Amino acid sequence: MNRMGREKIKDLSFFLFPMILMILFFYIIPLVMTVYTSFTPLRNWNVERYLFEFVGLYNYERLLYMFQHDPTFKAVILTTVVFLGITLVINVLGGLVLALATFFINERIASGFRLLWLLPRMSPIAVYSLVWYYFFHGSEIGTLNSILMKLGVISQPIPWGQIIPWGAWSILIFVNGLVGVSFGMIVFTSALNQIPRELIIAARVDGASTWDISRKILIPLMRWHILYVLTWQFLSLLTTFHHIFLLVQWNLINRDYGTTLALYVFNTAFGRGEQDQGLAAAAAVILSIVGIIGGYLTLKLLKFEKMMKKPRGDF
Amino acid sequence: MVEITLKGITKRFGNFLALDNINLKINDREFMALLGPSGSGKSTLLYTIAGIYRPTRGRIYFDDRDVTDIPPKDRNVGLVFQNWALYPHMTVFENIAFPLELRKVPRDEIERKVREVAKMLHIENLLHRYPWQLSGGQQQRVAIARALVKEPDVLLLDEPLSNLDTLLRLEVRAELKRLQKELGITAVYVTHDQAEALAMADRIAVIKEGKILQVGTPNEVYYKPKYKFVGWFLGNPPMNFVEAEVEGDYLRVYSSRIPVPSHYREIIEKLGIKEVILGFRPHDAQIVKGVGDGLLGEVYSFEPLGREQIVTISLDGVFIKVFAPEEESFTFGEKVTVEIREDRIILFDKEKEVALEYLYKD
Ligand SMILES: Nc1ncnc2c1ncn2[C@@H]1O[C@H](COP(=O)(O)OP(=O)(O)O)[C@@H](O)[C@H]1O
Ligand SMILES: [Mg+2]
Repeated sequence: MNRMGREKIKDLSFFLFPMILMILFFYIIPLVMTVYTSFTPLRNWNVERYLFEFVGLYNYERLLYMFQHDPTFKAVILTTVVFLGITLVINVLGGLVLALATFFINERIASGFRLLWLLPRMSPIAVYSLVWYYFFHGSEIGTLNSILMKLGVISQPIPWGQIIPWGAWSILIFVNGLVGVSFGMIVFTSALNQIPRELIIAARVDGASTWDISRKILIPLMRWHILYVLTWQFLSLLTTFHHIFLLVQWNLINRDYGTTLALYVFNTAFGRGEQDQGLAAAAAVILSIVGIIGGYLTLKLLKFEKMMKKPRGDF
Repeated sequence: MVEITLKGITKRFGNFLALDNINLKINDREFMALLGPSGSGKSTLLYTIAGIYRPTRGRIYFDDRDVTDIPPKDRNVGLVFQNWALYPHMTVFENIAFPLELRKVPRDEIERKVREVAKMLHIENLLHRYPWQLSGGQQQRVAIARALVKEPDVLLLDEPLSNLDTLLRLEVRAELKRLQKELGITAVYVTHDQAEALAMADRIAVIKEGKILQVGTPNEVYYKPKYKFVGWFLGNPPMNFVEAEVEGDYLRVYSSRIPVPSHYREIIEKLGIKEVILGFRPHDAQIVKGVGDGLLGEVYSFEPLGREQIVTISLDGVFIKVFAPEEESFTFGEKVTVEIREDRIILFDKEKEVALEYLYKD
């Protein structure tokens, strides 16, 4: 018995070993290093000089001070909150609507339609960003501007991304939201395909409309998936900065109202000019804490435990 | 409480012909079984009656009302599925109440009706449970309750018992039959289990490959199969079939000879047919020891079943099965004569596998 137990552990560690190593190298060690760095005044990668100097909570105090007094940093926080909230809703609701819509139409049309929505995710980040760069460009070469000018709606090109805050935010949300919906769509579509057809037929015979079926049967049965997508998208939106980086870099959107906290961390640590890794690390730690709390809250909010079935009992 | 008339119903899925010119009348308050092997189109026909599928051709009438183009919800049918299709996130009460809620029935009336139907099906103490907290039999009752709560004109059941274990199936079978008669509801019952159809239905429609082969009372389809397939599909063990040649007033069956049954003499004469298939049920023959008048053969095997035993007899290498009383004893290889009850013999055309009397009429 004991020997078998030990054998099992041996097997288990063999299979888990690569994963544990990955987590160690790509997650635990960077996390520890980030937390450590946040307590040092490390700047411009001057490791010899700063890495072993301990400044306590100084970087966190600076963040707090900036949060209270620095309009640029305030804009970053506000942008992060607005971007995250709205894009998250668009991602989850959009994915849900798309999955339901394609569920109720002809399968062949549906798969083509789904593929269309997958394009943003499949295209390289730079290519995809470039498409929207030209679309929203502030001069008359911008697709949107030239269309509107041809239609006679406007006479002068509008620098959409420089309208603060909503112009910049809208582009930010639009570009990222479009990438995100396909994730929800795919998860929800596969969830819908797991639901027995008979449930839907039964409801139809009883007089349920498509709306009734979606609201009273399909969506409740997808609770688990909705929760999953919500949490996943929350965490990925919290940390995404690739598209945003390019759009800001190319000057399509306003720097202050186009920068989320994740991009701020990146810029502060690796950006042009003065680099402040200590401060960036502190901001990254805050970001991680928000992520952990947010993830935990979403799970709580949707009553994660309650959805886990109790055992069947004695009948 | 309606009479259902199906006129020339054809249903295609792409190129596949699932239903082929179905004509069927189901009387008011009748219990009609649709019996056929898996894939024969039973469910498709049931769903077409429910309005889930639109027939490619043909019309459906509820009494005099043409419902072919009417959506399922306006046909007032109750549907019970093989997998019961209970909504897993709703309690038993909510499941049963769902059809009424969709109809915007007032809350207190819903409450009353749900309790009433739950009582009828003996599930009134399960109302607060979720489907996964119920046994198969209980889930089945909930599904029936949900179909009945809206007081449908027609109850459609798609193999509702096939997910239950054998004993429970027998119990629910009797109860369901009784319930249907008490409610006086027109019922269409899909099954691939011939015993179930024989036991429950007023009439049986035997379906094969999208065609109705025969419609009749259990007695008719059992004793007067129109097709060899019907005789084979109904009964356990199935009907025996042996090839026979007409020789004047006699039928030659391998090395034996029996007289042409009197009810076939005229038909055979008129058709001038030579080669037939002789069919008879295992309990419509008796085994006589030794060589006598009848089909000569030897005992291949015998299986006691309690009250009786099934004896397998080899007629020159072709096996038939005959019931014999329990007290009789046999030995392997024993020479016996099988005497068939003449009036129960069915003769089929060898090519078309249809009973001669129908060949003659068509
Ligand atoms: N929606 C559908 N699309 C295509 N073929 C179908 C569909 N439903 C049923 N069929 C086909 O029609 C035939 C009859 O199916 P069905 O009515 O379910 O048979 P049964 O209930 O008698 O087992 C089967 O061969 C099945 O594959
Ligand atoms: Mg079926």
